[in-house]
Amino acid sequence: MVDRAAAMISAFNFASPMILLTSPLAIVIALSVVVGLLMVVLFGYTSDQRAIGIAKDQLKAHLLAVRLYRDQIPVVMGSYGKILRGTARYLKLTFKPLLYVIIPITLLVVQIDRYLGSAPIAPNASFLLTVHLAHPANARTTAGDADSQVTIELPQEITMSAPPVHVAVENEIVWRLVGSKEGKYEVEVKMVADGESLEKTVSIGSGLPRISTVRLRDHFWERLFASAEPSLPENSPIESISINYPDRSIDVAGYGMNWIWLFFILSMVAGFIFKELLGIQI
Amino acid sequence: MKRSWGADTPVRVRASTIKLRHARGRRPNFGGPLLHRVRTHFAGEGARVTRALLIAVIFLPALAHAYAGPGAGFAVLSSFWAIFVAFLYSFYALMTWPFRQLFRFIRRRNAYGKATFERAVILGFDGMDPELADRFMKEGRLPNLSKLRDKGTFTKLRTTFPAISPVAWSTFMTGVNPGKHNIYDFLARDANSYLPYLSSAEIKGPKRHIKIGKYSIPFGKTEIKAMRKGTPFWHWLGNAGIFSSVIRVPVTFPPEKFQGVLLSGMCVPDLKGSQGTFCLCTTRASDDKFREGGVRVPIERVNGLCRSYIPGPDSPLAEKAGTELRVAFEIKPEPGSKSARFVVGSEKFILKVGEYSEWIPAEFKAGLGFTAHGICRFYLKELSPEVEVYVTPVNIDPGHPDLPISHPVTYSIYLAKLFGPYATLGLAEDTWALNEHVLDDDAFLAQAYGNHEDRERMLFDALDKTKQGLCTCVFDTTDRVQHMFWRYLEEDHPAARDVPHSQHPPVIQDLYERMDRLIGRVMEKIDDDTLLMVISDHGFKSFARCMNLNAWLHQNGYLALKEGKSESGDWFDDVDWSRTRAYTMGLNGLYLNIKGREKQGIVDPSEAGALKDELQEKLNGLVDPSSGKIGITGVFIAGNVYRGPYTENSPDLIVGYGAGYRASWDSVMGKVTGKVFEDNMKAWSGDHCIDPRLVPGVLFSSHKFIDEKPAIVDVAPTILKLFGLALPAHFDGKPWNLAAKAH
Repeated sequence: MVDRAAAMISAFNFASPMILLTSPLAIVIALSVVVGLLMVVLFGYTSDQRAIGIAKDQLKAHLLAVRLYRDQIPVVMGSYGKILRGTARYLKLTFKPLLYVIIPITLLVVQIDRYLGSAPIAPNASFLLTVHLAHPANARTTAGDADSQVTIELPQEITMSAPPVHVAVENEIVWRLVGSKEGKYEVEVKMVADGESLEKTVSIGSGLPRISTVRLRDHFWERLFASAEPSLPENSPIESISINYPDRSIDVAGYGMNWIWLFFILSMVAGFIFKELLGIQI
Repeated sequence: MKRSWGADTPVRVRASTIKLRHARGRRPNFGGPLLHRVRTHFAGEGARVTRALLIAVIFLPALAHAYAGPGAGFAVLSSFWAIFVAFLYSFYALMTWPFRQLFRFIRRRNAYGKATFERAVILGFDGMDPELADRFMKEGRLPNLSKLRDKGTFTKLRTTFPAISPVAWSTFMTGVNPGKHNIYDFLARDANSYLPYLSSAEIKGPKRHIKIGKYSIPFGKTEIKAMRKGTPFWHWLGNAGIFSSVIRVPVTFPPEKFQGVLLSGMCVPDLKGSQGTFCLCTTRASDDKFREGGVRVPIERVNGLCRSYIPGPDSPLAEKAGTELRVAFEIKPEPGSKSARFVVGSEKFILKVGEYSEWIPAEFKAGLGFTAHGICRFYLKELSPEVEVYVTPVNIDPGHPDLPISHPVTYSIYLAKLFGPYATLGLAEDTWALNEHVLDDDAFLAQAYGNHEDRERMLFDALDKTKQGLCTCVFDTTDRVQHMFWRYLEEDHPAARDVPHSQHPPVIQDLYERMDRLIGRVMEKIDDDTLLMVISDHGFKSFARCMNLNAWLHQNGYLALKEGKSESGDWFDDVDWSRTRAYTMGLNGLYLNIKGREKQGIVDPSEAGALKDELQEKLNGLVDPSSGKIGITGVFIAGNVYRGPYTENSPDLIVGYGAGYRASWDSVMGKVTGKVFEDNMKAWSGDHCIDPRLVPGVLFSSHKFIDEKPAIVDVAPTILKLFGLALPAHFDGKPWNLAAKAH
């Protein structure tokens, strides 16, 4: 027993760095530091540092003027106007480099959101599979109805816990499902009329699997940001197939946060530190 | 990447056509910043890319978890913060302004109730000479000053005894004679040691230190004590609720608190604590030391890369006193060109031979977080075969002042943020470097006019911000340029005999014309409710012949040297005090070696009066045997020209040299030589530290004053009277009378 305990302890000791790497909080921190550094460097490289420095100094000067000449109302108001104009100038100077920065970072965030934005469905927890149809005429289904247009085929590990519900107003059909075992499964959605069969991936379990909450037809930009699966066929009557994965909450000192907010704050802090260290004006 | 402040100043302009480019790529002009569109290396192609990105951003769906990262976050937060803080300040100012006005009213500070003018603008053109001004006006070269003369006043303005800037400007601001403000020269003498000290301010480091390892950590505050007594008139104005903007008036360091803003002027030290120590970094080996205000620093050249350093202040942490802090820099000559790449800390820039850099930050780190912040400019003198770089004295960084150089402290920071770094050193124009031939005429003028342009920007900003009250600004350029270039005004000045008179550049004429144009621009900014005065603290005369008064005292038995010595070293080295009855130090002061006052005094106090009379009689009218001209036209006993509680601190006699003469360079530094009279061969060829009756200043005014023989001591009471305030009883000056307020 002592040997087993020792083995477990040593295994834990070996694994603890590995645990850190799979911890969402650790990932967000590491990512924030790297992104903070990259963004600051990229900003410094693509911006007119001299002009930004001057614009910021001008703003500081006008702020100081408001204080220095506070008894002279015309000067105060004039300085306030200059501050507004100076702020506009400063934003104009930062706009172009921000464009260079926004695009890659947005795409990166989108990809990271696949892992950190949503959590997989816990085993034995129920979830909803929603099929959104293009035309209301196709949305006829009732449990056991021989004329059902849309059916689903489930793997063994996933069962239906309630009959499907047709939400005519939304052109949607919703199934309540339960997964019994961890894993990644394909749920088949079939159009009875033409035999078209479409698949939707479902992640059951824990950890940081790559999750796609929805599969879409068309909507290129929406697919880019929301879906990690191939698009549905263009002529398919099904517009989207979605699963209501729970939002992942990252525990920070007892407070649950969405990873985006945490990333925003930490990358700002990291960026601030790096901008000071590298002497880059933002 | 730290930004640099403005473009280099090309110096290759002839002295006869002194023009500095208006837009040198420097900071934004007053009236609206002009941001330079320095292209990034995405220019051209960048425009297309930017358009594409812009379209992408606009058409990105709102669902996108669009996160812009720290860059956008900072930009948005910074902008929001600036607007928010500005809004808070403005709101506070607006909401409290009525209450502050009411408070003032209750305290009977009805600021402008009895004022003749809403605003007074006083421009000090240090050293402007009335004879030269008159001559140039008659030649039609000064149209704006001529307008002032015709519309208002032009007359001579009597100066102080002696006619030295710190003395005269102290009298200007306090309205009293030197016996009440305690300033008699740049230097005063320590009666114990016979050594000089700065007369205007005393800076003492913390008295206690804690030793930790190799560090000796100072414990306590640095004390900065103003030695000038008396109250500047803007304090009286402030007490009455009248706002003042005071820029670079001499002897305002350390700055005092009052209602207004003030930037200290002459007598502000450099970061080393001196009045300006330049540095010549050179590959040339030399043991020569500069006589005045400069140090030679070696450049090490290894494989084409040159390394040197900027000497800075003493480390406050070092156990051993006098351990100098340094900032290292590198110079890499660019092959095939007359330029070199400089690396100074995190700053990188390229200089051509004959060019100045912008103001470069120099941070002297002592350890444990102690850092002294300075700024300096580099001037590349030579690149081949030897490398020589001139570095200006390290000025206190106005954006991070380590010593108080303005009131409030934020005023110098405000000016630095608005216009970029600027010279803060009191004697900012490096006359010593020109005297020592480290700089040539063009390089000195470029430096002087660069500082002058900064001053003009500050003045116009102050004019814009001070619509009511007092706005006063002193320009030192007139003084410095006349000191250094008077030699070109005369046919046979000893310092310019190597240049034919016909080739003498019209430097001083250009100078006066430049100042006149400044007046024109100021006049465009003011109306009839503003009084404009242009004054100078003294005039100018040639300085062609030096007089070593210590040598005369020695030769006439008043000063003795040690056995076997025929000359002394600096600061009375080898003087035998036990046999010395009188000595001179500084520009005009002659002291008796009085028993009980001086540490080694021998003159009985009861005999001092007779000795003063004797010296006065012998020196008055002293003739230069070479020229037959009078070297000393007046000797004044202190008790006869001063009155006040500080008269005892004055020299015993004030020596008034004749036109063309001045105390010799050696005499000023307490050195006894064999020659009493000799030619002045230095570039410093004009002066005013002579008989004050020969060098009055100027008074121009937009309105007519009817008084005869106005004096600089009258300015303070005049201003107070014109603002309707009662005059303090201790004033020595008398207010002038206005003929009529012109409409």
